[in-house]
Amino acid sequence: MDVHELTAAYALDALDADEAEAYEAHLAQCESCRVELAELSETAAALAFGVDSPAPPGRLRGAILDAAAAERANVVPLPHRAWGFRVAAAAAAVAACAAVGLGVWGATRTTTKTEALSAVVVVGADRHATLTVSGLAAAPQGKTYEAWVIPPGGRARPAGLFAGGGKTVVHLQGTVPSGATVAATIEHAGGASAPTSAPVITAQA
Amino acid sequence: MSRPLAHLSDEALVLLAARSEQSALAELYDRYGRIAYGLALRVLRDERLAEDAVQEGFLALWRTAARFVPERGKASTWILTLVHRRAVDTVRREQRRRADSLERAPEVAVDGVEEHAWLRLQRERVQHALRQLPDTQREALELAYYGGFSQSELAERLGQPLGTIKSRMFAGLARMRELLGEPGMEMSWTSTS
Repeated sequence: MDVHELTAAYALDALDADEAEAYEAHLAQCESCRVELAELSETAAALAFGVDSPAPPGRLRGAILDAAAAERANVVPLPHRAWGFRVAAAAAAVAACAAVGLGVWGATRTTTKTEALSAVVVVGADRHATLTVSGLAAAPQGKTYEAWVIPPGGRARPAGLFAGGGKTVVHLQGTVPSGATVAATIEHAGGASAPTSAPVITAQA
Repeated sequence: MSRPLAHLSDEALVLLAARSEQSALAELYDRYGRIAYGLALRVLRDERLAEDAVQEGFLALWRTAARFVPERGKASTWILTLVHRRAVDTVRREQRRRADSLERAPEVAVDGVEEHAWLRLQRERVQHALRQLPDTQREALELAYYGGFSQSELAERLGQPLGTIKSRMFAGLARMRELLGEPGMEMSWTSTS
């Protein structure tokens, strides 16, 4: 049977894990399946309204919000705006952001950027973290961005390379201790063992 | 309870949640927590497991809100999909619950005063549409969506070829879409206060 014909079963969550995986791979390449799935998923979700709906225990709401707050305690998204400022302005922004634990330096050297630069560090309970960057121009030929984790009072530790351009999610190598700073610099392709240039972004975890 | 974001659309709330706005998550829970819990309870038949599925579903929303694409579907569909998927994953691990899933769901005590009239109306409409399906299609939809059975399990259970099960699910869902698409059927959240 054609994978194409699995749309209804997928919408109902009636596929086994391997079938669902195959279908999702197909979905990435099949526009008509995506359209059909959107429709059938909406109908499947409507079935949820067909059953009795007793009030959930009152504690559930608080439990969800507490867990959400705990997960995102270290996350401070940057405002979406163009960061076309010079370094002096950036330093002021760092000071202004200190209260919420996040700073951005120098963005890029250009002042003509139109896309908003944002950098968000998400630190999990196990102290592993991701750095999500968008609006950062692709690294020049022969160069790479390198992420760093800088423990309080410690030296920068390499935490991964990324190319920039579009939205990039970097799974930072190692853990991010409390109070650490996460930064990214431009380095020669292949990366460096210590930063050799001023950071283009920094964020405090 | 004060609901400062009550005027916003579901989709706007998801965008706010993507920016770590906790009150947006709270408002989405206030809109869909009850429906999600009822669904999880129907699939799992266990209050504790249902709570877990709802919590995991809403936390998945919180984690991945930035990936939500409004053009691809409604926020309410997405939320219920997240919760349903977790409920189904759990019920497939809990084999002992599977044995009685073919039976009629036990009547859940619902406080008629407390339950919103709007929810009752939606339930009647969905149940009415389900009753209009051929028995085989209704059975396939109910066992899959409310029972958490995979299509292969259904084929085996009902003694039918897999292709037949697929056809029943597809035809049943497509027919439900028509029936629910008739005027007056709007599944999105509306103010009940």
